[in-house]
Parts: sequence; structure tokens; C-alpha cells
Amino acid sequence: MNDPQADKGYVALLGWSLNAIDAIDRFDRRYVVVAPDWAESYCTEHDIPYIGWNFERLNDRSHEIAEILEREGVDVAIPLFEETVEWAGAINSVLLSNPRLLGQSMLMRDKSLMKRRAQLGGIRVGIFEEAHDRDDVIRFLKRVNQALLKLDGDPNDPIHFKAFDKAGCLGHRVIRTVEDVDSITDGEFPALLESHLDGWEFAVEAWIWNGRVRFLNISEYVHLGYSVHVPASPELERYRPQVEREIEKLIETFDIEFGFIHPEYFVTNDGQMYFGEVAYRPPGFKVFELLERVYGFNAYQALALCFDPKTTEEEIEAFFPKEVVDAKGYAGSFGVYPRRRVVSELAIPEETASDPYFDYHELTAPLEEIVTKRTAFGTHWGLVFFHGDDPVRLAELLKKQEALDYYV
Amino acid sequence: MSTKDRGQADAVTLQLAHRFDAALDRLEQARPFAKGSHQAVVLDLAGRLLKRSDGLAALAERAPRFDPAGVFLGSDWHQPECLLPRLVRQTLATAPVPTVVLEVLSELRMLAIARGDATHAGFTQEQARHFLMQILALSLDRVFGSPGEADRERLGELGDALQQLFGLIVEQVGFEGILAHLIDEIWRVLAQRPIDVAGVKAMIAQISVALADGAGDTGELRLGADRLVSALFGPTQASSDDPGLPAYRGRLATLDGVALQHEARGFARAMHDTGLVSAYHALFLRWIHDNGQRELLAPALGLSPTGTDALQSYPALVHRLLDEAIHPETSQAAYGLALLLERGLLYAPPMAPALWRQIHLALSPAAADTLANVFGSTRPPRTHLLAGVLMLLGQPLGIGQGNNPTCQSARALSMWAINDPDFLLHLVVQAARTDSITMHFEGQELRSADLPPGLALQQPLDTDPVSTLLVGHLDRIYAAMGRLCADRGEDPHRWINPEFHGWWVGRDFAIAVDVATGALCDHDTFVRGFYGHYHPYYNGMTPVIHPQPAGLAITDAAGDFVGWHAITLLRVALDQERVMRVYFYNPNNDSGQDWGQGVVVSTQGHGERFGEASLPFEELASRLYIFHFDRSVCEPTGAPPVDEIERVGAMARASWAATRVPPAAAAQADAPGPPQG
Repeated sequence: MNDPQADKGYVALLGWSLNAIDAIDRFDRRYVVVAPDWAESYCTEHDIPYIGWNFERLNDRSHEIAEILEREGVDVAIPLFEETVEWAGAINSVLLSNPRLLGQSMLMRDKSLMKRRAQLGGIRVGIFEEAHDRDDVIRFLKRVNQALLKLDGDPNDPIHFKAFDKAGCLGHRVIRTVEDVDSITDGEFPALLESHLDGWEFAVEAWIWNGRVRFLNISEYVHLGYSVHVPASPELERYRPQVEREIEKLIETFDIEFGFIHPEYFVTNDGQMYFGEVAYRPPGFKVFELLERVYGFNAYQALALCFDPKTTEEEIEAFFPKEVVDAKGYAGSFGVYPRRRVVSELAIPEETASDPYFDYHELTAPLEEIVTKRTAFGTHWGLVFFHGDDPVRLAELLKKQEALDYYV
Repeated sequence: MSTKDRGQADAVTLQLAHRFDAALDRLEQARPFAKGSHQAVVLDLAGRLLKRSDGLAALAERAPRFDPAGVFLGSDWHQPECLLPRLVRQTLATAPVPTVVLEVLSELRMLAIARGDATHAGFTQEQARHFLMQILALSLDRVFGSPGEADRERLGELGDALQQLFGLIVEQVGFEGILAHLIDEIWRVLAQRPIDVAGVKAMIAQISVALADGAGDTGELRLGADRLVSALFGPTQASSDDPGLPAYRGRLATLDGVALQHEARGFARAMHDTGLVSAYHALFLRWIHDNGQRELLAPALGLSPTGTDALQSYPALVHRLLDEAIHPETSQAAYGLALLLERGLLYAPPMAPALWRQIHLALSPAAADTLANVFGSTRPPRTHLLAGVLMLLGQPLGIGQGNNPTCQSARALSMWAINDPDFLLHLVVQAARTDSITMHFEGQELRSADLPPGLALQQPLDTDPVSTLLVGHLDRIYAAMGRLCADRGEDPHRWINPEFHGWWVGRDFAIAVDVATGALCDHDTFVRGFYGHYHPYYNGMTPVIHPQPAGLAITDAAGDFVGWHAITLLRVALDQERVMRVYFYNPNNDSGQDWGQGVVVSTQGHGERFGEASLPFEELASRLYIFHFDRSVCEPTGAPPVDEIERVGAMARASWAATRVPPAAAAQADAPGPPQG
């Protein structure tokens, strides 16, 4: 189907993302999808190039897929999900004859190691510790609050609890009390504990080629786990030069030559940047789709461009628009969680439906009536997309959605 | 909204239209395998646009892009050539909102094709125009009236868009087009003489309103419409101004003998011309019955010497039937009574006493409730049931299955009305008195009251009175018979059909597919057998003596398999053009269907009697998969031409049997089984 150019690279997509496959199929590079067996019949039916592989933990057989792809003539592997990041590292260390890439990807997959590495690189991080059981969590909660000179009975400052190797909000809990600790299950350990930073949390999407950032987007979290918009508001964009310096430090510390990173930062009231974590794969909340909505370029194709060792400087120059100034309006997405315990149908709230910024939604009718109780941040049921010219209005609108029922 | 207003869309609509454009762009760019989620977004935005007063116009402008962008890809709407106009009405009336939106987008695409603004391979501008015309003809209420309460509840503001849509279609195809088409359509349906004419009567009422408003003033069109309207609302000189029933009754008292004769003949002519009976006609019959003018009954029913003789042989019974069953609300029963007399049914010894029993029948409370639920309580349930009996006995081929998967039961009722009318009355009485019927399968007694439901999960509400009473019972018994022979490893119809319908169903049996796998099985032998037992040239000129059940593989207009269906083989004969045709009964409500490959079932013009469907022998054979025969009375006398057998086989393999050609077929084909619907 797609029309690859002979002088361009051959990329492997690790993991199953229809939007990614669609985008690369429409691009000018040869590709193959590496996905579990269940994808095979779909790929055969739709003529999608496919190699079957079940991504579990890296193991003795990891080398096999690298060899298969090498024989196939693939130039580079692109991870689409958190779970395929270390696979991409392992595969690319073979394909690109660069053993360092495996180690680099392992760093990206362990939030604790990642933080220590950042710290070693002179990047400012919050207080953090590793936890192996609930006692560790309680101890950290108490120590942090002692340090803040809280007395017994004062409301605690919260701490953050994050599974080592999960994407985004999966396995992310906010802990305020000892009771909160009880609800953590054994399976969630080991985990990373972090102090809470009062400030502005945001994410960055950076496409890197030849050791340099070629496009840098700042995604503004209106409310972490609920909503995000791009580009960031002018207030946050003020920090762009600082953000760029932080990203350069990150590139240097983690020794990143090419590809795409998705780090998270806090900027505190005094303008100080704190590094949260970094991922080596596309972000959630369909930020790629939001970017395409405002900038018009396809972010998945940009991935292929920045991973492909055969890409030229001219191609990169021609591909990316100019940050912020080239954006047409602001696009935001809101993750819907049902607010009731029992729901029977999807009903877009009237005030949302009639809002001029409401773009479209990807919600579907509920499959079951009983809503399982949310633990941690949980997973949203689908996204609602907004688009408009005023970032302040957009942010207010996104915030307002949290109080509305989409499922009744 | 007319095309002129399109420029002035307000700002909100404009913005929504831009969002729609962006979504349509994304859909258009996406590869076929990735279009799904984009389609949902496009539909959602289209739905929001349709709620704006100028949203439909905005979508209409963009309609030429729908097809190439892939709005319909993967859905039933993808191939316009396979869409059925009569389903549009159903979809708009009952489907959930996203489906209604998709249907509206499909119509806008049709409009674009009809205008020449868009093209679709294999579908011409003329076809699009024709399709739109048919939709209009079938949805005149949407053109003329406002949406009903049910619509409003389900569709909200979308209802206005639907009315606008029909406005656009009228603008495109013109009003003359619809009326002419609608009238043709009504005549086509009436030519099959259905028992249930409620829908037809409603459409004629709408036409009469439209004509009164000045539509359709051209000569020939006016004539066809007038015949229909007058048949219902003024068939005679004294009723021609549609004076209302009380006024008409008053006029009758002032008419002399000649004028009354005139009225009688006028009513009879309109009834036999259309198959429709005016409420005035029912009133007239009751009036002559009550006013000592009984000699007018024969002319008022339009009886031939045969019918008149039957009337004169059983005057008390016939007048009592009239008095009990024929009222303005049940006027159609007059046509049933006339045809019953014409069929000479009363000469069969059990019939007269059976009808007397029917007249005196007291219904069980449950049976009375069932009938009252469907037919209302203006007249007692037993009146409706008796009227239903007259209609079924008079028009055995006029019965339809309604919108129920019970073709077997409708076929059985029709067959008994033709061939075993006293048995039919026996079942009616059993069910009405005891809420159960008893039949036997190979000696084993089956009582419907003791059996679980079959295919019809609820009481049919859209059929005639006899079906309303009996179909639930028959359906249970049919299903029970199926269970009793489910383990015999062969198609169960072989045993069920003779046991269920009657002794006359041939005990010899042929089937074209392997029951275990659904694969085509020795098809040539099957086809040769059918020729040898049913084609007069190859069976010693033996006619079909009794109606015989048979099974068809029904295909759609593209020739693709739809499902197994039960029919009755009635006659095999030459038509006016010397083509050997099979005349059959299809319990489906409208037999005129396009089965693809040029196989179009004819219902008039090829020697059909009222209610018969027909196909050239070869074409019917190409869709046949089950038939019964009786070796002891009819044997093949010659071999049909090899090339004809080959043609039949090729047509089957290129249509319903395409996935059943062994050995590849095996697993994926639907194995045939009892649920013929």
C-alpha cells in the first residue's frame, strides 16, 4: 500500500497502534509492524506488513527478534508503548551496532534508576526513595512531612507513589494518609516514592535527531490525569528557553542521539524546574493527534523521521513547522471517567455539546453498567477533544468537564 | 430550506462545518483499515450539524466527498446498488440516532449522484434518481406530514432535518415523479391481493389529500390515482362525493330500485378492480340485508353464476356471515366472502356446518384479549376473527407473515385455506376455545400449550386475525417437530413437512446441500430430479395436484445469499409467451423481489393469478434447495437438456451457493436447518 522511497530507511513499529500504522503506511518509508499473534489475521486481511512477536519481559530469546529484523533489512525499531521501549533498545543495539542503546533503554524503563541518573547529571529532582513494602511508604510519608515541620494533626503534604515501569498515570497514586497506604496491593511494589511539588506540571515532546532537538512541544496539563492542551499557554511558554536548556541537559545525561522523548517537569512558584520522569515513546491523551490538529504535521511520521538513520538534514528542516507561531489555535483533550457507580448510557452533557470549542469525541456506549472503583489514577473511558483560539477559555472549559456526567 | 439560502449559514453552523471538514479530511486520508474511528467522529459531527437549521444544507454541499472519503466503507451503505428503498423508511423510523445520521448521509450522497455532482462506479445518475423516487413514494407521510410523537422522542431536533431532507429530495425528483411512482407501487401491491391492506389504505388516503391540494394534475396519472381514491372514498354515484357514512345511509333510503342496482354494481366493480373494499360498501351490504333488498347481494358482491349459485344454495348462512362479520371497520371481509363463494368452498360437505360453528364460537378470555390487543375493541374479537376467516378462505394467497420470522406458519395457513379449509377451521376453533392446538408427529401427540416458544418470541401484531390467533401455536408445534427429528442426521423438513401440513405432501424428498457441512451436494442430480417430477415436458405432463412445500435459498439484488425461505409450489404452466413458469406462493408480504442475476420475481403480467408469484422454471430451479415428490404417482419420463441443467447449476454456484462449492465450502457455510423464516 505505501510507497517507500529506495533511499530512505526501513522501520519496525513495536506494538499495535492503528493510528501509527495508518500514518506510517501513508509515509514514504518502508515499515513492518511487530506485534503479538492476535494482530496477524488483521494484518493479513488489510495487507499490513507484519512480524509476529509476543513482548514479555526481555529474556534469552530477545536476540531472536533482533536477528529476524536484521535479516529482514530493517534499519531501526520504534517503540510505540512503554512495554516495548526496552525491546527497541535491545533491537536497535543490534541493528545500529551500538550496545549502549540497550542500557539507555533500561534507564528509561526504571523510574528510580532514571531519577538517579538525572541527579548524577546535575538535573534537579524532588526528594525520592524506592519502596519495597507499605512500611517504606509510611516511613517516607512521615519523613517528608517532618521535614516540612508539620505537627501531628496538621494535614499532610501528599507524596506520590509510582510503579517503576508503568506508563503515565498507570500505577500512579497520591498518598496523603496512612489509610491511603493500606489500599496499595502487594503487586504494586517495588515502587518509586516522590515528594509533592507545588507548582505547574507539564510535559514535553521532543523530537531529536543528530543529538539535537528538532521540534519541542510543551503540553500543558490542566489537571494531571484529566486534561491537557497544546501548545502551552503564553504564561508557560515564557519558560521555553529554560525548558530547552533542561532538555539539552537530559539529552546529554542520557546520551540520546536520535528519536523521541517525552519528559515531565514541574516549575515551582520561584521559577525552578524539577525533572519528574522521562519516557522514550509517544505520550498518552492523544497528544500526537492534538499536535496534528494545530500544526498539521503527523507526529508519527515525525517519529519515523527521527529514528531513521537514513534521514537527511534537509528532510528534517522541511518537515517540522516553527513551534508556537505556526500553531492554528489550541487543541485539548479531556479523559472521561464515569462519575456514577451505575451507568447505562453515554450522554454528552448539553453544555459541552453546545460549546463552540467542542471538537469531537471518541467515547463509546458503556459495555457494563457497574463502574469499577478507581484505584490510583486508573484509565479513562475515552477522550473528548476541544479546539479554540483562547488558551484561558480552553483551560477553564477542560477543568469544567470534570464536574460533568458523560455517563448516566 | 432551498439551495438559495445556503450562503447564509450562521457562525455556529459554519464552525461546526469546519470541524466536520477537518474530521472528513482525517477520514479521507486514513487507510481503509484505519477508517473506523474516524467514521464515528464524522457521524457524530454530522449528527450535531443536522441539529442546526442550516446544517443539512451544509452537509448536502459536502455530499460528493462522502463516498471517496469512505464514510460508508464497511457498512451496509457502501454499495448503493444494493440498498433497498423500503428499508430506508424502517431505518428512519426505528434505528438509533447514529444509524439515522448515516442513512441521511447516504441519501445526501444519492442526491449528489442524481444531480450529477458525484459519481459512484456501477451506479448511474438515473438509478440514484429512481432510488430517491422510491424512498419518497414509501415515505409520503414525511413529505406531507410532521413527524410523529415516536420520532420526536427518539430523534429530537434531528426530526426537522429529516423533513428538510425530504424537501430536498422532492426538489430534486419532483412531485409528479413520486405520485406516479407511488400509484404504480400501490397497483403493484394490490395486484397480489394481500389480505392486510391497512398500509395501502393509509397511502391512498394521503394521495387523496395531495390531489385535493392540487398535486398531479396530468391526465393519466390522475386517472390511476382517481381509481384508487374513489375505490375507497366514493366508488359509486351516490357516494362519489365522500359524504360520510351517516349521510350516505340517509341517501340510500331515497334511492329507487334502479339506482340501488347501480350502487350495487358500482361497489362490486371497484372491489374487484382493486381488491379494496370501501366502508360505504360494507354499509351498503348491511343496509340491503336489513331492508329487505337481499336480491341485491349477488350484484353487490359482483358474483359470477358460480358464486350466485353458492349464495342461492346457502342463503341463510351467507346472510348470517354478512350480518356477523361485515362492518365498515371490517369491510375487507366482503371481498373474502365474495371470493369464498366464487371458490365453491361451500359445496364441500364439512364447510357449511363448520362456518355455522364459527359463527357461534365463544372465544376464551385469552384468545379474546389477544385479538382485542391487535384489532381494538370497536367490534368484539369474535367479529374480527370471523372476518379474518372469511378473508383467508377467500384469499388463501393473500396471507403474509408480517414482520415475523414465521414463514412456515403463514405458508401452512395458506396451504390449508387452499386445500384443507375445514381442517383450518378445526384449528381455529381449538385455539380459540382451549388456547391450544393438537397435532401429531409420527403418531406422537403434540399440544401447543405444553410447548416452549419457537421462532416467534412474541405474538405477531402485524398480521391478519387468523394468524394472530394461530401462528404462536403453529410455531411451537413446528419447532417441537424439529426437535423430534433433530438427531436423524438429515434435513428435518423431510419429515416435518408432510406431518405438519398434510398427507398430500410428497414423502419423497430432495435437498441440494449436505446437511452437516452446508456444502452443495450433487446439485445436478437434484436439479434433474426437480425437472423430472415437476416439469410437464419431463414428467409425462403431470400437473401439480396439491400445493407442495419447497425451500428456496433467497438471494439479494447482488445475488448474495440472504437466508432459507419456505414457499409453496402451486402450478407449472406456460405463460402467454410460451415460457414454462413455476407459479408459487411466497409468505413474504411482497413477492415482487429482485434476487440478482436478472432473477426478478414476477407477480403480474405473466399469467399469475392473484397472489401468485412466478419465475421461469429454470430461474426458480436455480434458487431451489428443497422439494418434495411422490414416486408412486409421478415418475420422470424424459431427461431435460444437459445445457439447461448446466445453466441452472451455474446460476446457483454464482449466487447463493458461491461459498458452498465442495470441498472448499465445508466449515464456513451456514448449514441449513429448520429456521426457515
